[in-house]
Amino acid sequence: MDTVTYPQEKVIDFITDGMVPLRVAADHPLASGYDVTWTPALLVIDSEGKEYHRVVGFLPDDEFVPAILLGIGKAFFNKNEFSKALEKFEEIMTSYPASDSAAEAIFMAGVSGYKNSNDPMPLKKSYEYLAEKHPDSLWTKRAYPYRLLD
Amino acid sequence: MEKKLQWLTEMSKAAETAKAENKFIFLDFFNPN
Repeated sequence: MDTVTYPQEKVIDFITDGMVPLRVAADHPLASGYDVTWTPALLVIDSEGKEYHRVVGFLPDDEFVPAILLGIGKAFFNKNEFSKALEKFEEIMTSYPASDSAAEAIFMAGVSGYKNSNDPMPLKKSYEYLAEKHPDSLWTKRAYPYRLLD
Repeated sequence: MEKKLQWLTEMSKAAETAKAENKFIFLDFFNPN
């Protein structure tokens, strides 16, 4: 991460503009509090220390930003801030459509759209979009029941 | 001058900053060896 991902300007700007970067050695007592057993362990947490998302293992710079955006989206989702969550998931869909985080972002955009409006159509659309763009993804399988909604 | 990530190293400081700036914390646990 130190030689490939963190020196990239887009990564530095993304973290600096939108997050508070905190770095702790895995032998620090804080690591056992988060059950960290392998590194790198990259977590999105709030100011109370609550964890919303975790990536274990190296991420290249082109996967890093969408993977952490996904975490911010999940954090907003779990705080019931669905329109903010939707914004993050849609940013992944628009700006990082070929990333490994894209399929989960589409799924979560559908769920956030439903939670935000009580309209089931975003769920159905998320399945249709997943089936078209990511037919072999686990997230397409998870969204499969949504095809029946009307 | 080359840009570099400015990491915080203390949870308490990160929490205080995150609360004040209404941001989430990106927490990187790294291998010190």
